[in-house]
Amino acid sequence: MKLVINEHRCKGCNLCTMVCPYRIFQEGSKPGIRGYVIPVLDRPERCTNCRLQKVYGRQLCGMCQMICPDQAISWVEEKPFEPKKVEIEY
Amino acid sequence: MTLEDWYRQDRLPHIYCAGCGNGTILNATLRAVDALGYDINETTFVSGIGCSSRAGGYTSADSLHTTHGRALAFATGVKLVKPKQHVIVFTGDGDCSAIGGNHFIHACRRNIDLTVICMNNNIYGMTGGQGSPCTPKGSITTTTPYGMQEQPFDLCKLAEAAGANYVARWTSFHVKELTEAIRVGLETPGLAFIEVLAQCPTAYGNKNKLRQPTQMIEMFKNNAVKKAKADRDAAAGIPLEPGKFIVGEFVRRANPPMGVVKE
Repeated sequence: MKLVINEHRCKGCNLCTMVCPYRIFQEGSKPGIRGYVIPVLDRPERCTNCRLQKVYGRQLCGMCQMICPDQAISWVEEKPFEPKKVEIEY
Repeated sequence: MTLEDWYRQDRLPHIYCAGCGNGTILNATLRAVDALGYDINETTFVSGIGCSSRAGGYTSADSLHTTHGRALAFATGVKLVKPKQHVIVFTGDGDCSAIGGNHFIHACRRNIDLTVICMNNNIYGMTGGQGSPCTPKGSITTTTPYGMQEQPFDLCKLAEAAGANYVARWTSFHVKELTEAIRVGLETPGLAFIEVLAQCPTAYGNKNKLRQPTQMIEMFKNNAVKKAKADRDAAAGIPLEPGKFIVGEFVRRANPPMGVVKE
């Protein structure tokens, strides 16, 4: 699962930045599509719901989605794992 | 039927200001309704006039947007004509306590099978920030530029005295507890009254040094006292500190309700 912010709905109130236990949401600096400064995601793969929803079969945590007054936060299915070429520096 | 289907997609994003607590309360309500698995054709949302009452229009179930303060009167009619309908009333503090005060106490007295969610944002937000009966003492509003001099209403005590079957108070910070309270309220036969303190950064916070939505949520977090702790303090003779408020479930009882179908 992947955490996404809907840029068409978010109004940049930054309530998600204070409820996330991992502090994944950080205050943004650039205006989005509608001119609101929307939060940016800092390493979203740490999110409990992204990692463990499939294992437990139910919604975990979800505080950001609950407190978001604009219904902008959701989780989407990710594509199956695709191998990526990683360059390793020695 | 998923949670997203309860939102009316063509109306979103809604017109609430950035950081308005009403959107959070709408989330909690729809999540509770979804968790109970209600049929969309057997659920009706009724709302009056005000910021809070826009919430009914953002749900894909049937909704009634009625005259100022009379949401409970319309809801009574819906419930008595269609007793199997689950009727949920969205109302604000000005709507419920000021102009609809009599409808409110008499709906509690009759104990009709409704769920009333009062979004108390301490102010008349839509008309430009006039003081409402729930404005805390000392707050600055458009109509009270030197600070509010009147005592605010305690809606939970009012509902309890008038005879409601379930009374609870939460804030828009306590989303999990609020969802649980709404779920219990929906399952309770008789009138369930849930007062939710919501932040209003535009009209209330702007004049009271709480300009950012996060500041107001922080204020709720620091000033809310759980009912169990307040009871312990009261037994020990410690009074509630000024500015703090009690949250939690106040009443759960089984008085004879009205408008419940007998199987």
